Amino acid sequence: MTKIIIDGVEIEADPKQPLIRACHDNGVDVPMYCYHPGLSPVGSCRICQVEVKQGEMPPRIMVACKTPVAEGMIVDTRAPKAHAARRECLEFLLKNHPLDCPICDKAGECDLQDFAFAEGQGEGRSVEPRRKLDKRKSLGDVIVLDEERCILCSRCVRFFEDVTKKPQLTVSELGSRSTISTFMDRPLQGNYQGNLADVCPVGALTLKKFRFQARVWNLEKHFSTCGECSRGCSITVEILRRREVKRIRPRYNPDVNKWWMCDVGRFAFDRFNEEERIEGAAVRDAQGRLVETGVSDALAKAADILKVHPSPAIVASPWLTVEEGEVLLALAERAGVAAAFVAPPPNDLADDLLHTGDPCPNRRGLVELGLAAISAEEALERIGAGKSAILVGERVVELLGEEALEDLPAALRLIAFVRHPVHAPATNVCIGVPTAVERTGTWINVDGGRGPIAAARPAPPNVRPLTSTLAALAELIQRQEAPA
Amino acid sequence: MIPQVPTYLLDRCGLEDSHTLDVYRANGGYAALAKVLGGMDPAEVIEELKDSGLRGRGGAGFPTGLKWSFMPDPQKDRRARYLAVNADESEPGTCKDRVLMEKDPHGLIEGILIACYAMRVPVAYVYVRGEFRHPYNRVAAAIDEARKAGLVGENVLGKGFDCEIWMHKGAGAYICGEETGLMESLEGKRGHPRPKPPFPAGHGLWGMPTTVNNVETLFNVPFIVDRGASWYRTMGTDASPGNLLVGISGHVERPGVYEIPLGTAANRILEDWAGGVLNNHKLQAWFPGGSSTGLLPASLIGLAMDHDSLKAAGSMLGTGAMIMLDETACVVRAMEVISRFYDHESCGQCSQCREGTQWLHQIFRRMENGRGRMEDIDLLESLASGMAPAKTICALADAAAIPTHAVVKHFREELEAHVKAGCCPRKTARTPETVEAGA
Ligand SMILES: Cc1cc2nc3c(=O)[nH]c(=O)nc-3n(C[C@H](O)[C@H](O)[C@H](O)COP(=O)(O)O)c2cc1C
Ligand code: SF4
Ligand code: FES
Repeated sequence: MTKIIIDGVEIEADPKQPLIRACHDNGVDVPMYCYHPGLSPVGSCRICQVEVKQGEMPPRIMVACKTPVAEGMIVDTRAPKAHAARRECLEFLLKNHPLDCPICDKAGECDLQDFAFAEGQGEGRSVEPRRKLDKRKSLGDVIVLDEERCILCSRCVRFFEDVTKKPQLTVSELGSRSTISTFMDRPLQGNYQGNLADVCPVGALTLKKFRFQARVWNLEKHFSTCGECSRGCSITVEILRRREVKRIRPRYNPDVNKWWMCDVGRFAFDRFNEEERIEGAAVRDAQGRLVETGVSDALAKAADILKVHPSPAIVASPWLTVEEGEVLLALAERAGVAAAFVAPPPNDLADDLLHTGDPCPNRRGLVELGLAAISAEEALERIGAGKSAILVGERVVELLGEEALEDLPAALRLIAFVRHPVHAPATNVCIGVPTAVERTGTWINVDGGRGPIAAARPAPPNVRPLTSTLAALAELIQRQEAPA
Repeated sequence: MIPQVPTYLLDRCGLEDSHTLDVYRANGGYAALAKVLGGMDPAEVIEELKDSGLRGRGGAGFPTGLKWSFMPDPQKDRRARYLAVNADESEPGTCKDRVLMEKDPHGLIEGILIACYAMRVPVAYVYVRGEFRHPYNRVAAAIDEARKAGLVGENVLGKGFDCEIWMHKGAGAYICGEETGLMESLEGKRGHPRPKPPFPAGHGLWGMPTTVNNVETLFNVPFIVDRGASWYRTMGTDASPGNLLVGISGHVERPGVYEIPLGTAANRILEDWAGGVLNNHKLQAWFPGGSSTGLLPASLIGLAMDHDSLKAAGSMLGTGAMIMLDETACVVRAMEVISRFYDHESCGQCSQCREGTQWLHQIFRRMENGRGRMEDIDLLESLASGMAPAKTICALADAAAIPTHAVVKHFREELEAHVKAGCCPRKTARTPETVEAGA
């Protein structure tokens, strides 16, 4: 560690990191546009100028993001000269900026807006016409570029150079005519395009999917973990009006995903916004129709079935949390059977950045608990071989295939803890479950790291946590056994 | 008549077939190389250069011997190392390197070989401005000739010294003349200058130790080695020894490239070498060393053309390219033209430079077109102060800011007259239609 003084306070700084990191790590605010802690510094936007005194030399104005820390360095971020230099720089940056904050998706989380607001320079001195450029240039399926808002910080260019290591963007033309573009205007490729909207410090690169969807200050943000592969990237789930998931963004986690996430995970939230679901429970009546009922009644019915048709095949979803897995195991033990989860084969999304290609976010956690990972075919075989079966958790029906379930013999008694009603004739009981944005728990990722998932919004009033419904069923079975 | 002063730089240029190896050799060419390879230690060469006081001719005037001594010791630092020759000559008004490359390419090659020997560099790249086709061909042909004669390549002159020289054509961007922009461009990337530190001597081409020198700088080297540092110091001033190639253009009777001892008064160059202002007009303003050095008023034409004298006057020697404007010229129009150049050539990385060069140009254009405001004059100054000094990655922003400061300082009345009249008050100056069209 290197000792330096920032704004009169002596601190210890990491000599491998530029000065701006030492400032930020110690709560000293220095604005930045081109610098991003996850990208190689270029020192081009010049907004992070601070005053640095080294040795006997007179103090100099330097960009904090490109200045290495050196023992004994004295840094004054508030020196009048440094402050003036940053303000000047800001004025230049705003000279051609369209100032269309009222219709800009970035407003509220825009570094340019924030710093301009903090500096309070209300009036510009320019009477020149602003640059007229393409305000909605599509860069592929994910991103749209507003060239007028772009401040040419080149973070997006470096994102592909430094992170995915497959450069796709460049600055074309020179000087005030510069724009960001792809080679021959080809659309962007790959599973990491969405990160551009996060690295862009202004509203130049925005997500097509988030365009004009919400004002960011209306979004409620909840820390969670992505469930689209076994990497378990840390994320923020952003909810509008306590209901709709509007956006999922990566959350910095040095051990897992750093600042990034893939597009598959980022855009996997539509499923959470589907309206159709079991809002309590449903059971099959004498006429063979699934009719809605209370959760307690449905559980009692399930217990009755299991009494007549014991030893159910228990097949769970790989999206089960560790906590849910524990309760399920207890239930299986009570029923005197083993429990397994469906593990689909690896998909072709695996890459050397984040995506593991294994769609099971909690494979490691469930296996460590003692649940076997089985294929959908094997699961169906197990189910078909018995007289009763219990399906547990989100997406388990999807994984087994609705048609395959339809083909099961009608004599089979199927008890399903699922989100959507299962219409297969074998279904006797359906009990609603909360989605991954409505429950809390833990997934264990491929490397053994714990990924907490958080309830970003409340589940419907009659949808009880799986831990509670599974535990209740276990207890009912026990009670039925007791008198015998 | 042109004054008789001791010369050396252009001596061979007037000879027939001056670009050939035969003529070069017949006039003492490659003697310095033979002397160096025949028994001078690399460190001795650098010492000689330091003693000579030679300062870079690319614009910044950095002492060449000192620059060479920054290269790490090859015994301790075993990385590859390079010399990059800056033949990008694009500063407006400048056309001196071109003369040397066209008329005396072997002089440049000999300079490169000696520099490489002194810095123990086995590879040199000559980065030539894209538009310089003829100079490029001349240097390329000379390298071929020299290679056949055993002067370039392996085992130069049988003395066990290896030195390869490669040529590279730029694509016509001014910014690729900035040394780190040049290196990026040589690496095949966009010519975006790099922040310094790290400096090229430690981290240059492909991250390896590199020295960048201007063509004219290297051209001086064989003479210094051959005739000695004390001979060199008989010309020029103490702080700026030697002769300088001055390209003088604009409203003069005899525009051209002249060899002049550093420290010669600018008015003598104008009168004695260039034959005075065109058509006996009065001088109004002049650039001492390329457009980046800024307009000076006629009253300062007595200044000596050397680094320190011009610096003391708030200007720079730059590339020694003097541009003369007579009383019929319009300084606002001149600024419109050069600010357009910097707007066009800014690489666009730094906020102040990208936006500032455009802004300055927009203001000068408005003024020239009769839509200037009084407050624009102070705004120009304030913007230039926001861009420089040393606020950006490279000195292009300074190059745009310095002339802006200069015009406000020396020609404020001229600017005010423009604003008040809503047009150019000099009836003799050209009309602004062309300006609008060209913008
Ligand atoms: C914007 C800009 C353009 C430049 N263009 C040139 C050029 O065309 N030729 C040149 O020799 N030096 C040019 N320079 C100066 C070089 O950066 C560098 O200082 C020079 O090549 C060093 O050589 P010297 O030490 O031999 O003078 C330029 C500098 C700047 C900031
Ligand atoms: S000062 Fe101008 S030309 Fe130089 S690096 Fe910055 S933007 Fe590019
Ligand atoms: S953040 Fe430091 S120069 Fe851009």
